[in-house]
Amino acid sequence: MVGRVFRNTFVIVFAALWLIPIYLMVVNAFVPAADYTGAPTWLPSGFGFFDNLSIAWNESGLGLGLANSLLYATVSAGLAVFSAALAGFAVVVMPTRRPTVWFWLIYLGTLLPLQIFLAPLFKAYVGAKVYDTSLGMILIYSAICVPFAFFIVRNFLTTLPPEITEAAQLDGAGWARLFFRIHFPLIKSSLFAAFIFQFTWVWNDLLFGITLTTSPDRRPVMAALAEISAGFSSLGPPVVLAAAIVASLPTVVLFLACQRFFVSSLRAVG
Amino acid sequence: MTATSVRPAGAGSEIASRPGGRRPRVAGRPRPAFAAIPFLIPALVLVGALLLVPFVSTVYQSLTRDNGFTSTFIGFENYSRLLQDPTFLQSLLNTVMWTVGTLILPVGLGLLIAVFTNSMRGGRWLRLAFVLPYAMSGAATAVIWGFILRSDGALNQAIAFLGFTPPASGWLLEWPTNTLVMILANTWQATGVTVILFLVGLQSIPPETVEAGSLDGATGMRLFWHIVLPQLRPVTIVVIGMSIANSLRVFDLIWLLTKGGPGGVSETLAVTMYRQTFIISDYGYGAAVAVVLAIIVVASSYAYLRRQLKGV
Repeated sequence: MVGRVFRNTFVIVFAALWLIPIYLMVVNAFVPAADYTGAPTWLPSGFGFFDNLSIAWNESGLGLGLANSLLYATVSAGLAVFSAALAGFAVVVMPTRRPTVWFWLIYLGTLLPLQIFLAPLFKAYVGAKVYDTSLGMILIYSAICVPFAFFIVRNFLTTLPPEITEAAQLDGAGWARLFFRIHFPLIKSSLFAAFIFQFTWVWNDLLFGITLTTSPDRRPVMAALAEISAGFSSLGPPVVLAAAIVASLPTVVLFLACQRFFVSSLRAVG
Repeated sequence: MTATSVRPAGAGSEIASRPGGRRPRVAGRPRPAFAAIPFLIPALVLVGALLLVPFVSTVYQSLTRDNGFTSTFIGFENYSRLLQDPTFLQSLLNTVMWTVGTLILPVGLGLLIAVFTNSMRGGRWLRLAFVLPYAMSGAATAVIWGFILRSDGALNQAIAFLGFTPPASGWLLEWPTNTLVMILANTWQATGVTVILFLVGLQSIPPETVEAGSLDGATGMRLFWHIVLPQLRPVTIVVIGMSIANSLRVFDLIWLLTKGGPGGVSETLAVTMYRQTFIISDYGYGAAVAVVLAIIVVASSYAYLRRQLKGV
Protein backbone atom coordinates (compact mmCIF):
# COMPACT_ATOMS: atom_id res chain seq x y z
CA MET A 1 0.00 0.00 0.00
CA VAL A 2 1.30 3.41 -1.05
CA GLY A 3 0.22 5.10 2.18
CA ARG A 4 2.14 2.73 4.38
CA VAL A 5 5.30 2.95 2.29
CA PHE A 6 5.13 6.73 2.40
CA ARG A 7 4.53 6.70 6.13
CA ASN A 8 7.42 4.39 6.89
CA THR A 9 9.80 6.25 4.60
CA PHE A 10 8.82 9.58 6.12
CA VAL A 11 9.40 8.40 9.68
CA ILE A 12 12.67 6.64 8.90
CA VAL A 13 14.11 9.56 6.92
CA PHE A 14 13.26 12.04 9.66
CA ALA A 15 14.49 9.76 12.44
CA ALA A 16 17.79 9.47 10.57
CA LEU A 17 17.97 13.26 10.17
CA TRP A 18 17.32 13.63 13.88
CA LEU A 19 20.05 11.16 14.79
CA ILE A 20 22.76 12.69 12.59
CA PRO A 21 23.58 15.56 14.98
CA ILE A 22 23.86 13.15 17.91
CA TYR A 23 25.95 10.76 15.86
CA LEU A 24 28.29 13.56 14.77
CA MET A 25 28.58 14.78 18.33
CA VAL A 26 29.56 11.36 19.67
CA VAL A 27 31.95 10.46 16.84
CA ASN A 28 33.77 13.78 16.95
CA ALA A 29 33.94 13.83 20.74
CA PHE A 30 36.03 10.65 20.46
CA VAL A 31 38.59 12.18 18.11
CA PRO A 32 41.70 13.04 20.16
CA ALA A 33 41.80 16.84 20.30
CA ALA A 34 45.37 16.97 19.00
CA ASP A 35 44.48 14.86 15.95
CA TYR A 36 41.51 17.01 14.96
CA THR A 37 42.09 18.08 11.38
CA GLY A 38 39.82 21.11 11.37
CA ALA A 39 37.09 19.24 9.52
CA PRO A 40 34.37 17.13 11.15
CA THR A 41 34.82 13.36 11.03
CA TRP A 42 31.93 11.24 9.81
CA LEU A 43 33.45 7.90 10.77
CA PRO A 44 34.63 6.84 14.23
CA SER A 45 38.33 7.41 14.64
CA GLY A 46 40.40 7.22 17.79
CA PHE A 47 39.43 6.98 21.41
CA GLY A 48 40.28 10.35 22.89
CA PHE A 49 36.99 10.91 24.70
CA PHE A 50 38.39 10.82 28.21
CA ASP A 51 41.42 12.90 27.33
CA ASN A 52 39.14 15.50 25.75
CA LEU A 53 36.96 15.41 28.79
CA SER A 54 39.85 15.93 31.15
CA ILE A 55 40.86 19.03 29.17
CA ALA A 56 37.34 20.44 29.60
CA TRP A 57 37.40 19.34 33.22
CA ASN A 58 40.64 21.14 34.00
CA GLU A 59 40.38 24.21 31.76
CA SER A 60 36.83 25.26 32.56
CA GLY A 61 35.80 23.59 35.77
CA LEU A 62 33.28 21.26 34.13
CA GLY A 63 33.52 18.93 37.14
CA LEU A 64 32.70 21.75 39.54
CA GLY A 65 29.77 22.73 37.35
CA LEU A 66 28.42 19.19 37.42
CA ALA A 67 28.72 19.02 41.20
CA ASN A 68 27.07 22.44 41.63
CA SER A 69 24.20 21.56 39.33
CA LEU A 70 23.67 18.26 41.12
CA LEU A 71 23.38 20.17 44.39
CA TYR A 72 21.16 22.94 42.98
CA ALA A 73 18.87 20.62 41.06
CA THR A 74 18.41 18.11 43.89
CA VAL A 75 17.88 20.57 46.72
CA SER A 76 15.81 23.08 44.75
CA ALA A 77 13.55 20.51 43.11
CA GLY A 78 13.10 18.85 46.52
CA LEU A 79 12.29 22.10 48.31
CA ALA A 80 9.99 23.24 45.53
CA VAL A 81 8.05 19.98 45.38
CA PHE A 82 7.65 19.85 49.14
CA SER A 83 6.43 23.46 49.39
CA ALA A 84 4.16 22.84 46.42
CA ALA A 85 2.70 19.75 48.11
CA LEU A 86 1.95 21.73 51.27
CA ALA A 87 0.39 24.58 49.31
CA GLY A 88 -1.61 22.22 47.13
CA PHE A 89 -2.91 20.53 50.26
CA ALA A 90 -3.92 23.90 51.71
CA VAL A 91 -5.72 24.98 48.56
CA VAL A 92 -7.48 21.72 47.69
CA VAL A 93 -8.02 19.80 50.92
CA MET A 94 -8.21 22.47 53.63
CA PRO A 95 -11.26 24.73 53.64
CA THR A 96 -9.20 27.78 52.69
CA ARG A 97 -10.99 30.94 51.75
CA ARG A 98 -10.46 32.15 48.18
CA PRO A 99 -8.42 29.19 46.93
CA THR A 100 -8.45 30.77 43.46
CA VAL A 101 -6.52 33.81 44.66
CA TRP A 102 -3.87 31.63 46.27
CA PHE A 103 -3.72 29.51 43.17
CA TRP A 104 -3.07 32.47 40.90
CA LEU A 105 -0.56 34.06 43.25
CA ILE A 106 1.54 30.92 43.13
CA TYR A 107 0.84 29.98 39.52
CA LEU A 108 1.63 33.37 38.01
CA GLY A 109 5.32 32.54 38.18
CA THR A 110 5.26 30.02 35.32
CA LEU A 111 3.35 32.25 32.95
CA LEU A 112 5.88 35.02 32.84
CA PRO A 113 9.11 34.80 30.87
CA LEU A 114 12.20 34.48 33.05
CA GLN A 115 13.54 37.76 31.67
CA ILE A 116 11.05 39.71 33.73
CA PHE A 117 12.67 38.55 36.98
CA LEU A 118 16.32 38.88 36.04
CA ALA A 119 17.37 42.48 36.60
CA PRO A 120 15.73 43.02 40.02
CA LEU A 121 17.02 39.63 41.16
CA PHE A 122 20.52 40.53 40.07
CA LYS A 123 20.41 43.85 41.94
CA ALA A 124 18.83 42.35 45.04
CA TYR A 125 21.32 39.47 45.04
CA VAL A 126 24.27 41.84 44.86
CA GLY A 127 22.73 43.98 47.61
CA ALA A 128 21.97 41.03 49.89
CA LYS A 129 25.37 39.44 49.23
CA VAL A 130 23.87 36.24 47.85
CA TYR A 131 25.15 36.94 44.34
CA ASP A 132 27.42 34.08 43.26
CA THR A 133 26.51 31.87 46.23
CA SER A 134 25.00 28.38 46.41
CA LEU A 135 22.26 29.70 48.68
CA GLY A 136 21.22 32.28 46.10
CA MET A 137 21.04 29.72 43.33
CA ILE A 138 19.09 27.23 45.44
CA LEU A 139 16.60 29.95 46.41
CA ILE A 140 15.84 31.14 42.89
CA TYR A 141 15.69 27.65 41.44
CA SER A 142 13.33 26.56 44.23
CA ALA A 143 11.08 29.54 43.63
CA ILE A 144 10.98 29.07 39.87
CA CYS A 145 10.07 25.39 40.30
CA VAL A 146 7.25 25.91 42.80
CA PRO A 147 4.47 27.01 40.42
CA PHE A 148 4.56 24.08 38.03
CA ALA A 149 5.05 21.52 40.80
CA PHE A 150 2.13 23.15 42.59
CA PHE A 151 0.03 22.81 39.46
CA ILE A 152 0.80 19.09 39.13
CA VAL A 153 0.15 18.38 42.82
CA ARG A 154 -3.02 20.39 42.84
CA ASN A 155 -4.37 18.54 39.81
CA PHE A 156 -3.64 15.23 41.44
CA LEU A 157 -5.15 16.17 44.79
CA THR A 158 -8.43 17.21 43.17
CA THR A 159 -8.84 13.63 41.91
CA LEU A 160 -8.82 12.21 45.44
CA PRO A 161 -12.28 11.64 46.92
CA PRO A 162 -13.04 14.09 49.79
CA GLU A 163 -14.27 11.14 51.88
CA ILE A 164 -10.63 10.30 52.61
CA THR A 165 -10.19 13.61 54.41
CA GLU A 166 -13.50 13.41 56.20
CA ALA A 167 -12.94 9.87 57.47
CA ALA A 168 -9.51 10.73 58.83
CA GLN A 169 -10.86 13.86 60.50
CA LEU A 170 -13.56 11.90 62.24
CA ASP A 171 -10.80 9.74 63.63
CA GLY A 172 -9.38 12.91 65.14
CA ALA A 173 -6.41 13.52 62.85
CA GLY A 174 -5.17 17.14 62.74
CA TRP A 175 -4.15 18.85 59.49
CA ALA A 176 -0.45 18.10 59.83
CA ARG A 177 -1.12 14.49 60.63
CA LEU A 178 -3.62 14.29 57.81
CA PHE A 179 -1.03 15.64 55.39
CA PHE A 180 1.88 13.46 56.43
CA ARG A 181 -0.02 10.25 57.13
CA ILE A 182 -2.75 10.26 54.50
CA HIS A 183 -2.21 12.67 51.61
CA PHE A 184 1.56 12.71 51.33
CA PRO A 185 1.78 8.93 50.76
CA LEU A 186 -1.10 9.11 48.29
CA ILE A 187 0.47 11.81 46.13
CA LYS A 188 4.03 10.44 46.28
CA SER A 189 4.11 9.37 42.66
CA SER A 190 2.95 12.74 41.39
CA LEU A 191 5.49 14.40 43.67
CA PHE A 192 8.19 12.20 42.19
CA ALA A 193 7.06 13.08 38.68
CA ALA A 194 7.22 16.78 39.55
CA PHE A 195 10.64 16.30 41.14
CA ILE A 196 12.11 14.64 38.04
CA PHE A 197 10.61 17.29 35.81
CA GLN A 198 11.97 20.18 37.87
CA PHE A 199 15.34 18.51 38.39
CA THR A 200 15.72 18.42 34.62
CA TRP A 201 14.63 22.03 34.34
CA VAL A 202 17.20 23.26 36.86
CA TRP A 203 19.94 21.10 35.37
CA ASN A 204 19.33 22.53 31.89
CA ASP A 205 19.05 26.17 32.92
CA LEU A 206 21.59 28.62 31.56
CA LEU A 207 19.97 32.03 32.06
CA PHE A 208 20.00 32.20 35.87
CA GLY A 209 23.39 30.53 35.89
CA ILE A 210 25.08 33.25 33.83
CA THR A 211 23.12 36.08 35.46
CA LEU A 212 23.47 35.22 39.13
CA THR A 213 26.82 33.46 39.35
CA THR A 214 30.26 34.17 37.99
CA SER A 215 32.92 32.03 39.67
CA PRO A 216 33.65 28.50 38.43
CA ASP A 217 33.09 26.96 41.86
CA ARG A 218 29.55 28.36 42.09
CA ARG A 219 28.22 28.33 38.57
CA PRO A 220 25.97 25.52 37.30
CA VAL A 221 27.03 23.10 34.60
CA MET A 222 25.34 24.85 31.66
CA ALA A 223 27.15 28.09 32.47
CA ALA A 224 30.40 26.11 32.44
CA LEU A 225 29.42 24.53 29.13
CA ALA A 226 28.65 27.98 27.73
CA GLU A 227 32.18 29.07 28.56
CA ILE A 228 33.65 25.91 27.09
CA SER A 229 31.61 26.36 23.91
CA ALA A 230 33.23 29.76 23.41
CA GLY A 231 36.48 27.81 23.07
CA PHE A 232 35.54 26.02 19.86
CA SER A 233 38.73 27.25 18.20
CA SER A 234 41.09 27.36 21.18
CA LEU A 235 40.15 24.07 22.87
CA GLY A 236 39.09 22.31 19.68
CA PRO A 237 35.65 20.93 18.80
CA PRO A 238 36.26 17.45 20.27
CA VAL A 239 36.76 18.93 23.74
CA VAL A 240 33.62 21.07 23.49
CA LEU A 241 31.53 18.15 22.23
CA ALA A 242 32.82 15.82 24.94
CA ALA A 243 31.84 18.42 27.53
CA ALA A 244 28.36 18.75 25.97
CA ILE A 245 27.87 14.98 26.12
CA VAL A 246 28.80 14.77 29.79
CA ALA A 247 26.65 17.80 30.66
CA SER A 248 23.65 16.24 28.87
CA LEU A 249 24.06 12.66 30.01
CA PRO A 250 22.42 12.95 33.47
CA THR A 251 19.14 14.39 32.20
CA VAL A 252 19.04 12.14 29.13
CA VAL A 253 19.53 9.04 31.29
CA LEU A 254 16.99 10.32 33.80
CA PHE A 255 14.55 10.96 30.99
CA LEU A 256 14.96 7.48 29.50
CA ALA A 257 14.71 5.82 32.90
CA CYS A 258 11.67 7.82 34.01
CA GLN A 259 9.86 8.46 30.73
CA ARG A 260 6.62 7.41 32.35
CA PHE A 261 6.92 10.19 34.93
CA PHE A 262 7.77 12.81 32.35
CA VAL A 263 4.70 11.84 30.40
CA SER A 264 2.54 12.08 33.49
CA SER A 265 3.89 15.58 34.23
CA LEU A 266 3.24 16.62 30.67
CA ARG A 267 -0.18 15.06 30.76
CA ALA A 268 -1.04 17.20 33.75
CA VAL A 269 -0.39 20.18 31.52
CA GLY A 270 -2.84 18.93 28.92
CA MET B 1 6.27 39.07 51.94
CA THR B 2 2.87 38.08 50.63
CA ALA B 3 2.22 35.59 53.37
CA THR B 4 3.07 37.86 56.27
CA SER B 5 1.10 40.85 55.05
CA VAL B 6 -1.94 38.78 54.23
CA ARG B 7 -2.05 36.73 57.38
CA PRO B 8 -3.93 39.01 59.80
CA ALA B 9 -6.51 40.31 57.34
CA GLY B 10 -7.26 36.89 55.86
CA ALA B 11 -7.52 35.28 59.26
CA GLY B 12 -9.84 37.87 60.72
CA SER B 13 -12.30 38.04 57.88
CA GLU B 14 -12.33 34.28 57.64
CA ILE B 15 -13.78 33.78 61.10
CA ALA B 16 -16.29 36.57 60.74
CA SER B 17 -17.64 35.79 57.32
CA ARG B 18 -18.01 32.06 57.29
CA PRO B 19 -20.28 30.75 60.00
CA GLY B 20 -20.84 27.29 58.64
CA GLY B 21 -17.78 26.46 56.64
CA ARG B 22 -17.91 24.48 53.42
CA ARG B 23 -16.83 21.18 54.81
CA PRO B 24 -17.90 19.28 57.88
CA ARG B 25 -15.61 20.31 60.65
CA VAL B 26 -14.85 18.60 63.90
CA ALA B 27 -15.24 20.71 67.01
CA GLY B 28 -12.14 21.79 68.86
CA ARG B 29 -9.96 21.99 65.75
CA PRO B 30 -7.94 25.17 65.16
CA ARG B 31 -9.74 27.57 62.85
CA PRO B 32 -9.02 26.50 59.26
CA ALA B 33 -7.98 29.99 58.22
CA PHE B 34 -5.12 29.90 60.68
CA ALA B 35 -4.45 26.29 59.96
CA ALA B 36 -3.86 26.82 56.25
CA ILE B 37 -1.28 29.57 56.71
CA PRO B 38 1.70 27.39 57.68
CA PHE B 39 0.97 25.16 54.69
CA LEU B 40 0.91 28.07 52.28
CA ILE B 41 3.88 29.98 53.70
CA PRO B 42 6.83 28.14 52.12
CA ALA B 43 5.41 28.33 48.60
CA LEU B 44 4.17 31.89 48.97
CA VAL B 45 7.40 33.17 50.46
CA LEU B 46 9.50 31.60 47.70
CA VAL B 47 7.24 32.73 44.87
CA GLY B 48 6.46 36.09 46.43
CA ALA B 49 9.97 37.16 47.32
CA LEU B 50 11.80 35.76 44.31
CA LEU B 51 9.25 36.03 41.51
CA LEU B 52 6.38 38.39 42.28
CA VAL B 53 8.42 41.19 43.83
CA PRO B 54 10.97 41.14 40.98
CA PHE B 55 8.07 41.11 38.50
CA VAL B 56 6.48 44.22 39.98
CA SER B 57 9.88 45.82 40.29
CA THR B 58 10.61 45.21 36.58
CA VAL B 59 7.29 46.77 35.60
CA TYR B 60 8.17 49.84 37.65
CA GLN B 61 11.73 49.90 36.36
CA SER B 62 10.44 50.02 32.79
CA LEU B 63 9.09 53.49 33.62
CA THR B 64 12.47 54.76 34.77
CA ARG B 65 15.81 55.72 33.33
CA ASP B 66 18.25 53.53 35.18
CA ASN B 67 21.91 52.88 34.47
CA GLY B 68 22.36 50.60 37.46
CA PHE B 69 23.41 53.43 39.77
CA THR B 70 20.86 56.23 39.46
CA SER B 71 17.22 55.94 38.56
CA THR B 72 14.72 58.61 37.50
CA PHE B 73 11.04 58.23 36.71
CA ILE B 74 10.35 59.02 33.05
CA GLY B 75 6.89 57.55 32.43
CA PHE B 76 6.46 55.74 29.14
CA GLU B 77 9.54 57.19 27.46
CA ASN B 78 11.26 53.79 27.25
CA TYR B 79 8.27 52.38 25.41
CA SER B 80 8.19 55.22 22.88
CA ARG B 81 11.93 54.74 22.41
CA LEU B 82 11.27 51.07 21.65
CA LEU B 83 8.97 51.96 18.77
CA GLN B 84 11.68 54.04 17.11
CA ASP B 85 14.52 51.62 17.70
CA PRO B 86 15.37 49.64 14.54
CA THR B 87 17.13 46.95 16.61
CA PHE B 88 14.00 46.43 18.66
CA LEU B 89 11.81 46.24 15.55
CA GLN B 90 14.23 43.74 14.03
CA SER B 91 14.06 41.77 17.25
CA LEU B 92 10.27 41.91 17.15
CA LEU B 93 10.31 40.67 13.54
CA ASN B 94 12.60 37.79 14.51
CA THR B 95 10.32 36.94 17.41
CA VAL B 96 7.38 36.73 15.01
CA MET B 97 9.45 34.50 12.70
CA TRP B 98 10.27 32.23 15.63
CA THR B 99 6.63 32.01 16.61
CA VAL B 100 5.40 31.21 13.10
CA GLY B 101 8.27 28.78 12.54
CA THR B 102 7.45 27.00 15.76
CA LEU B 103 3.79 26.74 14.82
CA ILE B 104 4.63 25.08 11.53
CA LEU B 105 7.66 22.96 12.35
CA PRO B 106 7.64 21.37 15.81
CA VAL B 107 3.85 21.32 15.99
CA GLY B 108 3.21 20.04 12.46
CA LEU B 109 6.09 17.60 12.44
CA GLY B 110 5.24 16.42 15.96
CA LEU B 111 1.68 15.64 14.89
CA LEU B 112 2.85 13.69 11.83
CA ILE B 113 5.48 11.73 13.76
CA ALA B 114 3.02 10.90 16.56
CA VAL B 115 0.32 9.73 14.15
CA PHE B 116 2.73 7.76 11.95
CA THR B 117 4.63 6.02 14.73
CA ASN B 118 1.53 5.30 16.79
CA SER B 119 0.41 2.49 14.49
CA MET B 120 3.81 1.54 13.11
CA ARG B 121 5.79 -1.55 13.99
CA GLY B 122 8.94 -0.44 15.81
CA GLY B 123 7.46 3.04 16.09
CA ARG B 124 8.32 3.14 19.76
CA TRP B 125 12.01 2.89 18.95
CA LEU B 126 12.00 5.27 16.03
CA ARG B 127 10.24 7.78 18.23
CA LEU B 128 13.20 7.81 20.59
CA ALA B 129 15.21 9.66 17.93
CA PHE B 130 12.83 12.62 18.24
CA VAL B 131 12.31 12.44 21.96
CA LEU B 132 15.98 12.23 22.99
CA PRO B 133 16.96 15.83 22.13
CA TYR B 134 14.06 17.03 24.26
CA ALA B 135 15.96 15.93 27.39
CA MET B 136 18.98 17.95 26.31
CA SER B 137 19.55 21.54 27.30
CA GLY B 138 19.46 24.55 25.03
CA ALA B 139 23.17 25.01 25.70
CA ALA B 140 24.04 21.47 24.57
CA THR B 141 21.81 21.90 21.52
CA ALA B 142 23.69 25.09 20.71
CA VAL B 143 27.04 23.29 20.98
CA ILE B 144 25.95 20.52 18.62
CA TRP B 145 24.45 22.89 16.07
CA GLY B 146 27.36 25.28 16.33
CA PHE B 147 29.55 22.38 15.31
CA ILE B 148 27.28 21.66 12.35
CA LEU B 149 26.69 25.23 11.20
CA ARG B 150 30.17 26.78 11.52
CA SER B 151 31.80 27.77 8.27
CA ASP B 152 34.10 24.75 8.61
CA GLY B 153 31.24 22.72 10.08
CA ALA B 154 29.63 19.44 9.18
CA LEU B 155 26.87 20.94 7.04
CA ASN B 156 29.21 22.80 4.70
CA GLN B 157 31.38 19.73 4.53
CA ALA B 158 28.40 17.61 3.50
CA ILE B 159 27.35 20.20 0.90
CA ALA B 160 30.85 20.26 -0.57
CA PHE B 161 30.94 16.44 -0.56
CA LEU B 162 27.74 16.36 -2.59
CA GLY B 163 29.38 18.64 -5.15
CA PHE B 164 27.69 21.93 -4.34
CA THR B 165 29.30 25.17 -3.21
CA PRO B 166 28.61 25.89 0.45
CA PRO B 167 28.07 29.52 1.55
CA ALA B 168 31.52 30.78 2.45
CA SER B 169 30.40 32.74 5.50
CA GLY B 170 28.69 29.76 7.10
CA TRP B 171 25.10 29.94 8.20
CA LEU B 172 25.12 32.21 11.19
CA LEU B 173 26.41 35.52 9.85
CA GLU B 174 23.62 36.70 7.59
CA TRP B 175 20.00 37.49 8.23
CA PRO B 176 17.53 35.87 7.61
CA THR B 177 19.58 32.70 7.14
CA ASN B 178 20.83 32.73 10.72
CA THR B 179 17.36 33.08 12.20
CA LEU B 180 15.98 30.35 9.94
CA VAL B 181 18.72 27.82 10.74
CA MET B 182 18.35 28.53 14.45
CA ILE B 183 14.61 27.89 14.15
CA LEU B 184 15.52 24.55 12.55
CA ALA B 185 17.99 23.79 15.35
CA ASN B 186 15.27 24.58 17.87
CA THR B 187 12.87 22.33 15.96
CA TRP B 188 15.36 19.52 16.40
CA GLN B 189 15.15 20.01 20.15
CA ALA B 190 11.49 20.97 20.57
CA THR B 191 9.73 18.35 18.45
CA GLY B 192 10.13 15.64 21.12
CA VAL B 193 7.70 17.20 23.54
CA THR B 194 5.04 17.78 20.90
CA VAL B 195 5.37 14.13 19.81
CA ILE B 196 4.85 12.98 23.40
CA LEU B 197 1.83 15.20 23.91
CA PHE B 198 0.17 14.28 20.62
CA LEU B 199 0.76 10.62 21.41
CA VAL B 200 -0.97 11.01 24.76
CA GLY B 201 -3.84 12.65 22.89
CA LEU B 202 -3.99 9.88 20.29
CA GLN B 203 -4.00 7.16 22.88
CA SER B 204 -6.91 8.71 24.71
CA ILE B 205 -9.12 8.56 21.61
CA PRO B 206 -11.68 5.79 22.12
CA PRO B 207 -10.94 3.08 19.52
CA GLU B 208 -14.69 2.61 18.92
CA THR B 209 -14.93 5.96 17.15
CA VAL B 210 -12.18 4.97 14.74
CA GLU B 211 -13.74 1.55 14.20
CA ALA B 212 -17.11 3.10 13.53
CA GLY B 213 -15.51 5.44 11.03
CA SER B 214 -13.81 2.64 9.16
CA LEU B 215 -17.04 0.59 9.13
CA ASP B 216 -18.62 3.55 7.38
CA GLY B 217 -15.93 3.19 4.74
CA ALA B 218 -13.55 5.95 5.80
CA THR B 219 -9.89 5.08 5.25
CA GLY B 220 -6.47 6.65 5.47
CA MET B 221 -6.53 10.41 5.07
CA ARG B 222 -10.30 10.71 5.41
CA LEU B 223 -10.37 8.68 8.59
CA PHE B 224 -7.62 10.84 10.01
CA TRP B 225 -9.12 14.12 8.86
CA HIS B 226 -12.72 13.54 9.95
CA ILE B 227 -12.44 11.17 12.90
CA VAL B 228 -9.01 11.45 14.53
CA LEU B 229 -8.08 15.10 14.06
CA PRO B 230 -11.25 16.60 15.57
CA GLN B 231 -10.66 14.53 18.69
CA LEU B 232 -7.10 15.84 18.92
CA ARG B 233 -8.34 19.41 19.16
CA PRO B 234 -7.91 19.81 22.93
CA VAL B 235 -4.37 18.46 22.94
CA THR B 236 -3.53 20.52 19.87
CA ILE B 237 -4.47 23.70 21.70
CA VAL B 238 -2.15 22.76 24.53
CA VAL B 239 0.70 21.85 22.19
CA ILE B 240 0.36 25.07 20.21
CA GLY B 241 0.17 27.22 23.34
CA MET B 242 3.13 25.51 24.92
CA SER B 243 5.23 25.64 21.75
CA ILE B 244 4.59 29.34 21.23
CA ALA B 245 5.40 30.14 24.84
CA ASN B 246 8.58 28.07 24.63
CA SER B 247 9.68 29.63 21.35
CA LEU B 248 9.21 33.11 22.80
CA ARG B 249 11.48 32.14 25.68
CA VAL B 250 14.32 30.68 23.61
CA PHE B 251 17.50 32.28 24.85
CA ASP B 252 20.29 29.74 25.31
CA LEU B 253 20.39 28.62 21.70
CA ILE B 254 20.57 32.13 20.24
CA TRP B 255 22.91 33.42 22.90
CA LEU B 256 25.46 30.67 22.35
CA LEU B 257 25.16 30.47 18.56
CA THR B 258 25.17 34.13 17.51
CA LYS B 259 24.92 36.24 20.68
CA GLY B 260 21.99 37.78 18.81
CA GLY B 261 24.37 39.15 16.23
CA PRO B 262 25.99 40.10 14.11
CA GLY B 263 24.90 43.58 15.12
CA GLY B 264 21.68 42.37 16.73
CA VAL B 265 20.12 41.04 13.50
CA SER B 266 19.29 37.62 14.95
CA GLU B 267 18.04 38.81 18.33
CA THR B 268 14.64 37.93 19.68
CA LEU B 269 13.03 39.84 22.53
CA ALA B 270 14.40 37.38 25.09
CA VAL B 271 17.94 38.16 23.90
CA THR B 272 17.38 41.90 23.44
CA MET B 273 16.28 42.19 27.05
CA TYR B 274 19.40 40.43 28.27
CA ARG B 275 21.76 42.52 26.14
CA GLN B 276 20.11 45.85 26.99
CA THR B 277 20.15 45.05 30.69
CA PHE B 278 23.35 43.17 31.36
CA ILE B 279 25.64 44.16 28.51
CA ILE B 280 24.59 47.78 27.90
CA SER B 281 23.36 48.37 31.50
CA ASP B 282 20.31 50.27 30.29
CA TYR B 283 18.10 48.78 32.99
CA GLY B 284 14.97 50.79 32.33
CA TYR B 285 15.00 50.04 28.60
CA GLY B 286 15.76 46.36 29.22
CA ALA B 287 12.82 46.24 31.63
CA ALA B 288 10.52 47.73 28.98
CA VAL B 289 11.58 44.96 26.59
CA ALA B 290 10.92 42.37 29.30
CA VAL B 291 7.43 43.80 29.88
CA VAL B 292 6.61 43.72 26.16
CA LEU B 293 7.82 40.11 26.02
CA ALA B 294 5.73 39.18 29.07
CA ILE B 295 2.62 40.72 27.52
CA ILE B 296 3.17 38.80 24.28
CA VAL B 297 3.77 35.52 26.14
CA VAL B 298 0.69 35.83 28.32
CA ALA B 299 -1.53 37.04 25.47
CA SER B 300 -0.43 34.29 23.10
CA SER B 301 -0.96 31.56 25.66
CA TYR B 302 -4.45 32.78 26.49
CA ALA B 303 -6.33 30.06 24.62
CA TYR B 304 -4.09 27.41 26.06
CA LEU B 305 -4.36 28.78 29.58
CA ARG B 306 -8.11 28.91 29.41
CA ARG B 307 -8.16 25.21 28.70
CA GLN B 308 -5.37 24.30 31.06
CA LEU B 309 -6.96 26.12 33.97
CA LYS B 310 -10.49 24.98 33.42
CA GLY B 311 -12.17 24.67 36.77
CA VAL B 312 -9.68 26.69 38.75
